Amino acid sequence: MYGTGLLKGLSITIRHFFGKKITQQYPEERPVLPKRFRGSFNLIPEKCTACGLCANACPNGIITVESFKDENNKRKLGKYSMNMASCLYCGFCVEACQQEALYNTQEFENAVYFRQDLEKVLYQYQPPEVGVETEKPVAQEDREEGSEA
Amino acid sequence: MDIFLVWVDIFRNWLTGGIGIPTLAAEIFIKIILVLIVIIFVLCNLIVLVWLERKFSAFYAMRLGPNRLGPAGFFQLPVDIVKCWGKEDTIPEAVDLPVFKIASICSFITAIMAWAVIPLGKGLVLEDLNIGIFYFIAIGSTGTIAFIMAGFGSNNKYSLLGGMRTAAQMISYEIPMAFSLLGVIMLAGSLNLSDINEAQKNVWFVFPQIIAFLCYFISSIAEPNRGPLDLSEGEQELVAGYFLEYSGIRYALFMVAEYTHLVAVSAIAAIMFLGGWNPLFGLTFIPGFVWMMLKIYFMIFLFMWVRWTFPRVRIESLMHFGWKVLIPVSLLNILLTGVGYYVFQAITG
Repeated sequence: MYGTGLLKGLSITIRHFFGKKITQQYPEERPVLPKRFRGSFNLIPEKCTACGLCANACPNGIITVESFKDENNKRKLGKYSMNMASCLYCGFCVEACQQEALYNTQEFENAVYFRQDLEKVLYQYQPPEVGVETEKPVAQEDREEGSEA
Repeated sequence: MDIFLVWVDIFRNWLTGGIGIPTLAAEIFIKIILVLIVIIFVLCNLIVLVWLERKFSAFYAMRLGPNRLGPAGFFQLPVDIVKCWGKEDTIPEAVDLPVFKIASICSFITAIMAWAVIPLGKGLVLEDLNIGIFYFIAIGSTGTIAFIMAGFGSNNKYSLLGGMRTAAQMISYEIPMAFSLLGVIMLAGSLNLSDINEAQKNVWFVFPQIIAFLCYFISSIAEPNRGPLDLSEGEQELVAGYFLEYSGIRYALFMVAEYTHLVAVSAIAAIMFLGGWNPLFGLTFIPGFVWMMLKIYFMIFLFMWVRWTFPRVRIESLMHFGWKVLIPVSLLNILLTGVGYYVFQAITG
């Protein structure tokens, strides 16, 4: 019978017309991301041994790991930075990490206004000041002044 | 809505009596004002229509549509208009300049001229021609020439192809459109749109003329070049079609013409098939003008529903359908109407 397909199509669209809309009002409504979503990166500096496996695993070579030997001749992490301009978000670095120090975050708004902001410093060793007993390393928050706008 | 007519009468009396200008001059002056009012009315419709098109196209796809600018994105179009005004009027070197320039204006004029005979209520019509529907069909055909002018004047093979397609499509779909309206004219016994409206006091012509209504509906999608039968502006095969070289406000005029045409064919459908300003269920306290607008917008809803549901057809399928299906069916409808009318008269005496 000619025309039944047309009527079927019309009935589907009219149901969509009166049905619930699925548009997500993005800046107001935040998306519900999957648990294993590969967003930006974060580092737990206490776990990191500065082995450099992540830097080796990176196909674009964007990870720089600087390390130094402390007074006990133990290797410590000096600076950990990623050049996000070339990052593929492939996640090989996270896979390569033996200590599970590097992990993906849920953050996906990685746009920045200036090119130098793309250099993402995940850790920067700060030498202990004189008189301060603890030398607890501080994870630096990545700079994201412009990304909110 | 007799109040409009009362106002016009008061204004006329004031002009002739109060100020004392000659009757003929006063008539011409009033006519000009009324024409302006109709044009403004059509353009106001247009603003609503573009907004509706955007919203509806979104709703049919389970989206929300524009919702940032103004309430429910209503101010999107005014901003678009300002943008169109601000755009540079790019005219390529090789175009046929006078034809190119006139074409966009011509398309708008032919679209707006149909509104001379379309009544929006009892007496709410610029010129109640006794051959109103004939005039409408004739003016609808002249719209073709604007598209050919645009296609030819652009001096571009894609534009020319688009223009030729439009011409072929509009000419072939004029015929079933006129034939489908003939059935209604036979039942009403008049070509005057107000008389046709009066003839539907008891029963709307959509019920005895359902075949004609379907034929009219399909051909009135094809005639103002709306989807799914918008073959003249195929992005994939014709780049854009006849308005390929147009930009800024000239391009906007083509869009304006398309939507004006859409309102016009919806108004004709409402008058010819849906009983015009005759109230539904005897709800006479609602003015006829409101009923008319409701019916026009119901038709527009149907047009948009069809547009955002069906995929486009190929040009030769469109032509085949027009010539091999629609025209025979609409002719058959005329035959059936004639025979049915004769039998009805024989039975009732």
